Amino acid sequence: MGTCLLLSSQLAACVSHTQPVELFQLTPESPRNKAMQTRFFETKDEAELLSASAAVLQDLGFQVEESVQDVGFLRATKERSAREYGQDIGRFFAFVLSLGKFVMPVDLHQKIAATLIARPINPEATRQEVRIMFYRIVWKGDGQADRQYIPPGQQKMEMLRDPVMYQQFFAKLSKAVFLEPFTL
Amino acid sequence: MKQRAVWGIIVIAGTLLVQGCTAPEPTQDLLALTESQMKIRSVQTRTFDVRDRQLAMRGVIAALQDLGFIIERANEPLGLVTAARFAEPNYYDVVGVTVTVRQATEGRMMIRANAIYNNKPIEDPKVYQNFFATLERSLFITKE
Repeated sequence: MGTCLLLSSQLAACVSHTQPVELFQLTPESPRNKAMQTRFFETKDEAELLSASAAVLQDLGFQVEESVQDVGFLRATKERSAREYGQDIGRFFAFVLSLGKFVMPVDLHQKIAATLIARPINPEATRQEVRIMFYRIVWKGDGQADRQYIPPGQQKMEMLRDPVMYQQFFAKLSKAVFLEPFTL
Repeated sequence: MKQRAVWGIIVIAGTLLVQGCTAPEPTQDLLALTESQMKIRSVQTRTFDVRDRQLAMRGVIAALQDLGFIIERANEPLGLVTAARFAEPNYYDVVGVTVTVRQATEGRMMIRANAIYNNKPIEDPKVYQNFFATLERSLFITKE
């Protein structure tokens, strides 16, 4: 088990770090992400669109943390348990197979967050664009490998790119503003 | 004689230890403008032909979103935008960026970006070139 762990940790060290240069460049996935995260609404009322968005986020259990009306910005978060049965089963088998020497840390807690921007996209401001991005931060619980204690609190961060999530948000938003959203 | 040598060693070791305890003094030029700082500032700054500051800010936000950044904070009166993104595909590294939009002259906006990679400032000019290239495109689309 110890060798196995050592090997896997060495493999993990081999994962190449993304260079900052690449992170400031548009990728082939960028337009696809943008299309998924964006909808357009035929309305002049940006403030109404923004407040309706805040209401929808509240309906989804989010707390609005930051809002700037001048640039049409909202940021909201919600905290939930990140426990998954699969991980607990995995933890149990790892524990048994290692004869009680290895306790695998599992995901305990997560913070799901959304940032939203509403902005006019033509000079007459008759058409508005709403773009939302979801992401989450996951905290792991404690574990143990041989005698070595793995402290809790290790973090994992990821963008949420499930299209269904975005479709559901925009479906709710269009109901709230009585407008049919469209894509370009 | 031997005792004196031992004492000498103890005194020297003691002073060395005490020396080790003092924190390094901040150098006098810690806040002074060095040449490299001037250079990095010119790399981080660019002016654009945009009249409206709010329009420029919205362009900055759109560009950052296109690049996959999460907008964390925005302050319209100060022209300030703070954003971050995970250094995908590994989710343990974070890239942060702060952008300020200020009026340079009538009809021209000065935009400055500061980027950090895991709390270490990014000084590679290529990074800022890439950012401003995306921003240019975004501002152009916003303007039309």
